[in-house]
Amino acid sequence: MYEIRFHGRGGQGGRMAAEAYALAAFLEGKYAVSFPFFGAERRGAPVRAFTRVDDKKIRIKTQIYEPDYVVVLDETLIETEDVLEGLKEDGMVIINTPKKPEEVQLSKPVKCATVDATSIALEILGRPITNTAILGAIAKATGKVSIDSIEKAIIEKFGARLGKEAGEKNAKAARVAYEKTLVGVSQGGKEFVPRKRWLPTVEEMPIGGAIGTLQTEAGLVGIGSFIENKTGDWRTFIPVVDKEKCIGCRLCWFYCPEGCISMVEDKATVDYDYCKGCGICANECPVNAIEMKREVRE
Amino acid sequence: MIQKLPAKKMVITGDYAAAYGALLCDVDVVAAYPITPQTLIVEEFSTFVNDGITDAEFIMVESEHSAMSACIAAQAAGARTFTATSSQGLALMHEMLFVASGLRLPIVMPVVNRTVAAPIGIWCEHNDSMPQRDAGWIQMACEDNQEVLDMIIMAYKIGEHKDVLLPVMPCLDAFILSHTVEPVEAPSSDEVADFIGEYKPHAVLDPDKPMAIGTFTPPEYIQELRYQTHEAMKKAKEVIKNVTKDFASKFGRDYYGLVEEYRCDDAEVVLITVGTVTGTAREVVDKLRQEGKKVGLVKSRFYRPFPAEEVKKIAENVEAIGVYDRAISYGSGGPLFIETRNALYGMDVPVINFLAGLGGRDVVTGDVEKMYEILLENKGKKPAKEIYWIGTRGVSI
Repeated sequence: MYEIRFHGRGGQGGRMAAEAYALAAFLEGKYAVSFPFFGAERRGAPVRAFTRVDDKKIRIKTQIYEPDYVVVLDETLIETEDVLEGLKEDGMVIINTPKKPEEVQLSKPVKCATVDATSIALEILGRPITNTAILGAIAKATGKVSIDSIEKAIIEKFGARLGKEAGEKNAKAARVAYEKTLVGVSQGGKEFVPRKRWLPTVEEMPIGGAIGTLQTEAGLVGIGSFIENKTGDWRTFIPVVDKEKCIGCRLCWFYCPEGCISMVEDKATVDYDYCKGCGICANECPVNAIEMKREVRE
Repeated sequence: MIQKLPAKKMVITGDYAAAYGALLCDVDVVAAYPITPQTLIVEEFSTFVNDGITDAEFIMVESEHSAMSACIAAQAAGARTFTATSSQGLALMHEMLFVASGLRLPIVMPVVNRTVAAPIGIWCEHNDSMPQRDAGWIQMACEDNQEVLDMIIMAYKIGEHKDVLLPVMPCLDAFILSHTVEPVEAPSSDEVADFIGEYKPHAVLDPDKPMAIGTFTPPEYIQELRYQTHEAMKKAKEVIKNVTKDFASKFGRDYYGLVEEYRCDDAEVVLITVGTVTGTAREVVDKLRQEGKKVGLVKSRFYRPFPAEEVKKIAENVEAIGVYDRAISYGSGGPLFIETRNALYGMDVPVINFLAGLGGRDVVTGDVEKMYEILLENKGKKPAKEIYWIGTRGVSI
């Protein structure tokens, strides 16, 4: 049996990639399972999906903690978390990046495959959806499943949802990625500060989970929330308020599902630390004073 | 706040006793929806509000689901709340029962036990409250109207105890208590206020210090909360014993904690009863004792927390135990019987289940005599049959 962990952001199709890979393995006569971890996340949030492949029926139902392969659909994720966590000694990481494997810096030197799946997707699909292109890279890097099976799985799975033509285009993206994938060894030495977590014991847990914010070693916390978790980095589009146009009607303030808008001198002001870029404020603004712009990060 | 009410003796229904108990406890908010045979409880309470005896907020709602929701919100804002229901009404509340216990809100809600459709019946059966077993509510059954009034008072003291903080459901049998008048002694409002004290919420919704409760909570936290509630339910046993003891010393009526033993000294067989059948069974026990039969009675007051230790101790000294149930878990047995046998795991004593009075059929002294007869026949034996359907046409005993 071998196990794959996919790292992506909500909306990038990590789950579909994990499922399509399982289908490709199944088409080659293997037994395969694939599942996502469902959290409170939405578009842009770091998410994980998992795939297991074996010759016989897979009975284990746990998440995957010691994967053979790690697949990273979004390059920005390698900056914020150690994607190598739990990776087996001789494991391999497959990353969507324009860099060569030798140029990628991770927590330690590991077998690494890279492909510029975003550029391939933009060129062939016209959209930066990388979940099919990355499958070609996995086939090339691991040699565990043929690119023919990957193509068949994509046509079956994505074709059924998006139509035959789209299915074929996605298969082509995988084929091109397969051909362009580079395999090498990454750099090591990148340091990560482990994410602090608040894990109260029964004694420490507020009764009934009822509490306001609590100062702990992990920062200001509450049940199911984490003030220090700046969700602003989930954003792809950023709301920009034209203060000249804003009439101070508070509709955006009312509709913001995250409580990220406050009124400063009667003008809408966005808290970018937590705004996830959902765009509801721009949609609700009656005078089009809020524009959603593609966010460019350093 | 309520007007000062003197101690007095009244001849009242079980429903009035429940309403008057809530009045004495100076509840702040009542939200309820009418359903026979509970309706009188909230009707009586609304009269207290109308007459200015209490300034409690009385909220008319459109369903039992909303009644419980309103109580949850009010209790979370620091109010002492009260509601009541029966049968389908309780079934409709089911979802919100878990919210009340999960947020650890000590709401008190008498349930007038009425059969759950289909078919529709309005009479007594315990198949409304007993299926709420796992909702995290303290659940107990009353024998008479005095116990109804006393239990409402004790319910607030038990539920609001810092080691418990759980909602409480005192149950009373439809019509047999709810619509039957009998003499009841009510303490004065001052005595009750002194006995139950002030409600000190563990957390209060306050606009000046905002917080969310019952919010989306990931797997990292829920298991610890489940453990907390389980521990609270277990700790409730000690609190119940202490509260009944305090109540006895202050008001002179002793309910003996989780179970009451009646003529169990030297008894060869005992019958565990629930609800109003207890009173009838006391008569039968007295008669059989006169005939020289060594029989005893155990009044099971609490279904949750279940008095496993007490039942076990009683079982050590008898040769057969009977369990009377007014509800059936289809394909298994009566709910109290299942609990009892679970508590007696590893012991040799025969345990026999008696089902009678389903759908509100009257349970008469002859029925109870039959139960004791079967128990005496099975003393120390492995019983040939475990479940007896007393008085069921076409089913032999």
